[in-house]
Amino acid sequence: MKAAIPIWIAFVPSSIAWGIAAQDHGLSFGEVVLMSAWVYSGPAQFAVLGPLAEGKSALQVIVAGFLMNLRFLPMSTALAPFLRGVRRWRLLFASHVISASSFIVPYMQFQKERKELAENSTSARAEDGYGNLAFFLGVGVTSFVVWLAGTAGGFLAAFGFSAGFEEALKFILPGYFAGLLVVEMKGWAMPLICLGSLIAALPGALVSPGWGWLVTAVLVATVGWGLEEWKLPASK
Amino acid sequence: MEITRLQIIFIIGLMAFAVRALPQLFFVGEKFPDAWDRWLRYISYGFICSIISVTLFMSGAHIETSAAPRRAIALAFAVLVAYRTKSAVTGMIAGAVLVLVLSRLF
Repeated sequence: MKAAIPIWIAFVPSSIAWGIAAQDHGLSFGEVVLMSAWVYSGPAQFAVLGPLAEGKSALQVIVAGFLMNLRFLPMSTALAPFLRGVRRWRLLFASHVISASSFIVPYMQFQKERKELAENSTSARAEDGYGNLAFFLGVGVTSFVVWLAGTAGGFLAAFGFSAGFEEALKFILPGYFAGLLVVEMKGWAMPLICLGSLIAALPGALVSPGWGWLVTAVLVATVGWGLEEWKLPASK
Repeated sequence: MEITRLQIIFIIGLMAFAVRALPQLFFVGEKFPDAWDRWLRYISYGFICSIISVTLFMSGAHIETSAAPRRAIALAFAVLVAYRTKSAVTGMIAGAVLVLVLSRLF
């Protein structure tokens, strides 16, 4: 569980920010907590918050949430080989707590252990699916609980803000995600995609308030990715 | 038929669960191509930036012309602070304080 401490520290401000923003958007306590528990994906929750609160089309909200959550596909796929031999119902239960952060820490640990096993070929020790699952759950479940508690805390804390703070409340979640992206920024494709999406979303949303920003985001990301794919072989 | 917010949240969660669980059941031993992995990550980044833009600068089908300049300044400031301090929280707090101050002044 010690390995999960950095994730808890990262989850506290983001879950509180989410709780505050969701309360500000008019979601009920039950809806906010259910979303954190059942969807359990900060970026997806952020992406659907506005459209959901404004009563936009259900299909649009669901598509936005689905596309945001597609990134769990490669994460879950990457973890799967380390959990070999574990019963399926346990895997189903465990997979719910896969998040970007709770994926990285166990994945790095499992890779390190695999490398050590490969180097120490005299060892009779084999990869332990259940041991890996226990490590993953130690990180994943505790992070999940921190996320839920932070959400509830943020929602309740938002009642403490007096009138006149709407402008700051509106800024909290977008400001936090902008900061997260900047801190993670590397290479040239990511800044290009971020800036391009930021700018293209406005004309996109003016043309079609429901779908425009979704379409421009997919287009800009695909163009940036295509350029990178094209440049990658050239740089080798 | 009208779908309630709770039903929408349930469907999004169900789809998120499917995306997390299916590889555990069917992709054991498979490797996701790196290029696809990057594309999915870039889609997420694109969405987040689009949402930031729409949340801060749009109201329904219109650009919030009166609030947009101060929010753009606050966003740029938050990004700068986050970049310099390597802390998203510090950037967010700095931006939120600035946008509040600007909204009171202008």
